Amino acid sequence: MSKLRAYKKRLQEAARDPQISIALERAIASYRKNVDEALKKFPHTLKMAEEVRQIKEESISRLGDLVEQACEAIRENKGEAFVARTPDEALEIIDGIVGSGKLIVKGKSLTGEEIDLREHLEERGNEVYETDLGEYIVQLLGIKPMHLLAPAIHVPKEEVAKLLSKVTGKDIPPDIQAEVATVREILRDKFFRAQVGMSGANVVAADTGTLFQIENEGNIRLSSAAPPVYIALVGMEKVVPTIEDAFKVAEVTWRYAGYTVPAYLNLVSGPSKTGDIEKVTTYGAHGPKEMYVIFLDAGRSQLAQDPVFQEALYCLRCGGCLYECPLFAVTAGRFGDKYFGGIGAIWTAFVTGDLAKAAPLTYSCLSCGRCKVRCPVEIDAPQMCLELRKRIAEGS
Amino acid sequence: MPIKRERLVPEGLLLLRNNILTKGNIFGSSAKAKWASDLGLSSQGETLFFAGCGYQFLDGAEATLSAVRALDKRGLAWERTLGMTSFLNKLGINLGELYGKLTHRARLSDNPLRNAVEVLQGMDIAPGYLAEEEPCCAAPLYYAGFQEEFGDRAVETQRQLQARGIKKVISMVPSCTYTLRELFPRFLTEWEVEVSHFLEVVWERIQQGMQFRLPLEITVTYHDPCVLSRNLGLIEEPREILRSIEGVDFADVERNKEEWSTCCGGGGGFEVIFPEVSHILAVNRVKELLATGASVIVTSCPGCLIQLREGVKELKEEGVQVMDMAQLLRNALPEK
Repeated sequence: MSKLRAYKKRLQEAARDPQISIALERAIASYRKNVDEALKKFPHTLKMAEEVRQIKEESISRLGDLVEQACEAIRENKGEAFVARTPDEALEIIDGIVGSGKLIVKGKSLTGEEIDLREHLEERGNEVYETDLGEYIVQLLGIKPMHLLAPAIHVPKEEVAKLLSKVTGKDIPPDIQAEVATVREILRDKFFRAQVGMSGANVVAADTGTLFQIENEGNIRLSSAAPPVYIALVGMEKVVPTIEDAFKVAEVTWRYAGYTVPAYLNLVSGPSKTGDIEKVTTYGAHGPKEMYVIFLDAGRSQLAQDPVFQEALYCLRCGGCLYECPLFAVTAGRFGDKYFGGIGAIWTAFVTGDLAKAAPLTYSCLSCGRCKVRCPVEIDAPQMCLELRKRIAEGS
Repeated sequence: MPIKRERLVPEGLLLLRNNILTKGNIFGSSAKAKWASDLGLSSQGETLFFAGCGYQFLDGAEATLSAVRALDKRGLAWERTLGMTSFLNKLGINLGELYGKLTHRARLSDNPLRNAVEVLQGMDIAPGYLAEEEPCCAAPLYYAGFQEEFGDRAVETQRQLQARGIKKVISMVPSCTYTLRELFPRFLTEWEVEVSHFLEVVWERIQQGMQFRLPLEITVTYHDPCVLSRNLGLIEEPREILRSIEGVDFADVERNKEEWSTCCGGGGGFEVIFPEVSHILAVNRVKELLATGASVIVTSCPGCLIQLREGVKELKEEGVQVMDMAQLLRNALPEK
C-alpha cells in the first residue's frame, strides 16, 4: 500500500499545480483543433484507421514470424538485426556496439525510456544528447517526460529561458523563437561530431525491413543520418507485414497525433551506400556505414498471446487518448510510469511484469471511456484496466 | 499469493467490498428505504423499481465524501479511520451529526427516488419496490477486480428476483442499469429480466404524447453520466426529454457532450481512492457545464449528482442548482 500512497501523493501534487493544468488546457484545445482539421482535410483517415486495426490484429497474431522476417530483410540490406528478450539483453547488445567514451545523439524513443537507455549509456561513460527539443529540456531539468509526444508539455517558456541561459552562460530571453534557435546552435555540432546516432521507429515493414519515423524537428533525420553508426531500438509490436501496410499505419498515427502531414517521414532500410564508382556497391556514403536494429520483446510476445490484453499492442502511440483523459488533464505524466494513461497501466504491467507498479495506475482509471472514443484503433483501455484489476485482486 | 496481491487493491475499494459482502449495500448502513416509508409501495409485481445504493444513501454518501475529502487534503489515511467514528470525532468530524443535518435539510419532496416514483405513478406505472430487501447490484466488486465475488452475488440476485417472479426492472442508477443489463448476462446463464433505465421509460411516454410543463422558464444544461452515454448509449433520450419539457430552455455543452462528455471525476471507484483529485475533476466539469450559461445542471446519476454539487459549492456558484432528471420531471408533471 505504500506504493499507492507515494503515487497518490505525486498525483495530488500534480493536480494542485496550476502550471500543469494550464499547460494541458492549452495543449488539449490545440490538439483537438488540429486533429479536427486534419481529419476534415483528409476524411479517408477514418476508413484507413479501420484498416489499420485489421493490420495490427494480423500483425500481432503472427508477431514472432514478422519480427524474424524483418530481421532477415534488414540483414539483406546489410544492416544488423537482433531480437532482445529483456531490457538487459538489449542494453548488452547496445553496449557491445557503442562501448564507452562516445558522443551520442539520440532521437526521442519511448522504448528507450522503457529500458532507461540514456541513463545506462551515461553510466557507461558516454556523453548523450537528447535531440528532441522537449526531451532535451527534460534531460536538462533531470526530470521524467510528462507526455509521449510533448515530454516538456508542462514547462513554460520562462523556465526554458532560465535553463538555456545556465547551459550557454548567455542571457537567453523567454522568447520561443530565440530558445529554439539556441538549442539548434547547441546541438548542431553534436550531430556532426557524434560517433553514434540513435532513435526508435513508429512502424517497421517486415517485407523490406524499412523503419518508418514520423517527425517534425528533423532531429531524427540528423541522428539517423549524420553519425557513422546508427542504432535503432524498436518495440517488436511495431512490425507490420508490408511496406504498404506501414504507410497506412504511419499516416493514421500522425493524423491522430494532430498533424495533417508531418514535416518528415523518414524511411530507413539499411546503412548508406553508393554504386557510383564502377557500379561497385560501397557502404558508408554520406549516411552511416553501420546500422543496427534491436527489436525489444520485454513481455510483448507474452502479451501477444494473451486474449484479454493483446489489444494493448495495437497502440500506435499517437497520444490522442491522453488529451481526452480527464485525469491526465490535471496530472499529465504523473498518471503513468513510463507509459501513460489507462493504456499505460496495461503496458506497465506487461513490460515490467511488476503488478505492484501497475496497480496504482490501473486503479486510477476513471473507466469513463472517452479515450476509446478517440482511439483510432478503438482500444478499450478502460475495460482492460478492469481486467487487470481482476488479476490483481484475485491473483489469477 | 492471492492475499499478498489483495494488498494492492486500494483500501477505499476494500471498504466498499466489505460493506457489500457483509451488509448487502455499498455504504454498510441500514434503513435504505426510509425515503419510501409513507409511499405504500407494494413489494409485489412483475415490474420492479430498482432504486440502487447510490440514490438510497445519497445524503449519507454526500456527507461522507465531504468528510473524506477534507481528510484526504490534509494527507490523512482516512481509509483506515472511516470505520472508527471515535477517530473522526477527535478530528472534529461527527459523522452521525453530519448525516442527521443532511437528512434533516434534504426535504423528502426533493428526493430523486420519490420524485421518480411520483413521475412513474403519473404515467400510471406502479412498480414494486423491495425496500430493505432490494439486493445490491454489487458493481463495485466488479470495478474493484473481485469478479468472482461479483458473479456469486449476481447468482444470488438472480435467485431472489426469480423467486419473486420479476420480469422487468426500471432502474435508476446508470451503473446498476449497466450491471443488470450488460454484466449479468456475461456472468449468468438464463438471465431474462428486461432492464430499462428510468429515462427510457419516460421517453417512451413522451413519444406517445405525454407533455411535461414547468411552471416557470429555466435554462438547463445536461451532464451525461459516462455509463449512461458511453456504456448504454443513452445520449439522445435525455436531450429529447429536456427539449420536450415546456419551460425548459435547453443549452447543451459545446464540445464535451454525448460520447465526448467529460467524466464528473467519480468513476470506477476513483472518488473513494483519490478523493481530492476527484474533487478537482468535478470542479473542472462544472466549469464546462456552466459555460453554457445555464442556471440548472441536470443529470441522471447519484454519483454525478454528488460530484457536481461539490463542484458547484467549491466554485461558490450560489445561483446554480444541480438536480436529478427525476426532480425536474416531477416539477413538470402535469396535474391529473
